[in-house]
Amino acid sequence: MASFEDTRSSHAKAWEERVSAHEIEARSNPWRKRLKEFSRNKLLFTGSILGVFIVGLGLIGPLFIGSDYGQQALRDAHLTPFSEGYLLGTDQYGRDLLVRLCIGIRVSLFVAAAVTSMALVVGMALGMCGGFLGGSIDRVIRSVTDFVWGFPLILVAVLLAGGLGQGLFPVILAVGIVNVAAITRVVRGEVVVLRSKEFVEAARACGVPNFRIMWRHLMPNVMAPALVLASYYVAVAIIAEAGLSFIGLGAQPPLPSLGKMVADGRGFLRINHWESTVPGIAIALLVLSVSLIGDGLRDVFDPQLRHEAKGVEKE
Amino acid sequence: MKRSASRLVYTIIVLFVSSVAVFYAIRLSGGDATAAALPGSATEEFREEFRDRLGLNEPIYQQYFTYMGRILSGDPGNSLTNNKALTDMLTEHGLNSLILGGTAFALVFLVGVPLGILASLRRNSWADQGIMSLSTFAMAVPNFWLALLAVWLFASTLGWLPSAGCCGTKQLILPATVLAFEGIALTVRMTRSSMIESQNSDYVRTLRAGGLSEWRITCKHVLRNALIPIISLAGLRIGQIVGYALIVETIFGWPGLGQVLVNAVLRRDYPVAQFFSLVLVALVVLGNWLADTGYTIANPRLRKSA
Repeated sequence: MASFEDTRSSHAKAWEERVSAHEIEARSNPWRKRLKEFSRNKLLFTGSILGVFIVGLGLIGPLFIGSDYGQQALRDAHLTPFSEGYLLGTDQYGRDLLVRLCIGIRVSLFVAAAVTSMALVVGMALGMCGGFLGGSIDRVIRSVTDFVWGFPLILVAVLLAGGLGQGLFPVILAVGIVNVAAITRVVRGEVVVLRSKEFVEAARACGVPNFRIMWRHLMPNVMAPALVLASYYVAVAIIAEAGLSFIGLGAQPPLPSLGKMVADGRGFLRINHWESTVPGIAIALLVLSVSLIGDGLRDVFDPQLRHEAKGVEKE
Repeated sequence: MKRSASRLVYTIIVLFVSSVAVFYAIRLSGGDATAAALPGSATEEFREEFRDRLGLNEPIYQQYFTYMGRILSGDPGNSLTNNKALTDMLTEHGLNSLILGGTAFALVFLVGVPLGILASLRRNSWADQGIMSLSTFAMAVPNFWLALLAVWLFASTLGWLPSAGCCGTKQLILPATVLAFEGIALTVRMTRSSMIESQNSDYVRTLRAGGLSEWRITCKHVLRNALIPIISLAGLRIGQIVGYALIVETIFGWPGLGQVLVNAVLRRDYPVAQFFSLVLVALVVLGNWLADTGYTIANPRLRKSA
């Protein structure tokens, strides 16, 4: 796990930095500096372009080509890409692969958005409470998150699917729970360091209530590492949803999911391998763009890490 | 000593809590247990009698204790769909999973560690960059997609290996490699960064200043220190392999525990789902405990504190 300890965005450290014209400008508007780095950062740039393309395909695509993903035309089954009327060809029921691809991307994005917002909100809240308040609350939060975090995601999802039945909901819940644990751990670690910083002590000495300290003073400081980590877990969420749908536990037919589409095409690799390869490539590109954005965000928010030997993100 | 004892207590608590969670989650699931076992034409009286026989009408906490008692006495019951004894299924499919998982586990370290060492020794060379980009790729590509590519390439196109089946060496190669892939990538990264950290440490500088040959420093000092975290965290890989085995076994039709569990969940065969979930959860918890213990043994600083 790359440690985000001692984020440079802490107020105390910022004051110690050497004053130069550039620095003053940066301090008066930290977002402008970040925006500048954003446009200069190659990883972020490539990832964003790729991401915008795929997200656009998923969100706007169906407006133009229709969203009737279940429409069957058995006479047109197993068409290869660039066939008449079907840009990407058709699957075994003659359903338009392009339409299904767009909706599949939409499903992936929906799962990723649901999981990540859940992980960010709950994880930040738990992590800040645990790290700042300490005591028995902290101990409970820590042991629960340690326990959950040590579990393989797929197993959690299969267990939940066993309890709640198949569908997208158990998948979102499972990936969400594991991601919440991951974010909580990192935020808690950050807050434990920040807790003893002067600006927190000052706030406390002035009689600012705990909740306000967390909301106004701690949250802006833990936002960056939490966002960077969350962007990694977007990729994890997409892969997990695809994998679970692949084995039949995620999205249920006829709703297309990229993983399910790969699985459906599996039996026809010899006839028309595009039925599997097209959604497969879409997953790979989606994950690639998210990872690039994640790496880029880390560079922008946490430049200290950039030149160091890259550690193992998952450990 | 005190630390490992408290970890053991924690592990036992975790095992208990997760067994309760698994039991409740699967027993309370909306589906009717009789739907999986009995034909649709069964009468309501017959269903009621069936539920009575399985003890499904008792209060749920009582069911839990009866159930755990039966598991501990070695008789967890039978499958609802084919009436096989669960203990027989465990030995049969467990052995298959052990073969697959064990091979993947061995591959992770036999391939991952040497590659990581190579990358760290030839830092920033083309070999290092190649290995590192490959490992980034391996972590970004979902394993089921990798499995499919492997089947398409080695089975359908080249015809070298069978695409699915059990349980010969030839059938083992593809699933074991796919299962190990992400673990290898992680191990390569961990080994590399751990080696580099070790190479840059003060004692290595002292040894270098003392005139020891680079080869001796690497083999005797750097390597031994760098591998401590890799070996001690091997327990975490167990959890990872258990998780991915669920997908990989299903894809390759390898009749192991993972495939049995996924099928049971899909068919709502709750005794099977419950029992094998418990087995896998216990495996993961034990793996995490091993990782923790291994880390404590390898790191004397942790042993003394606490």
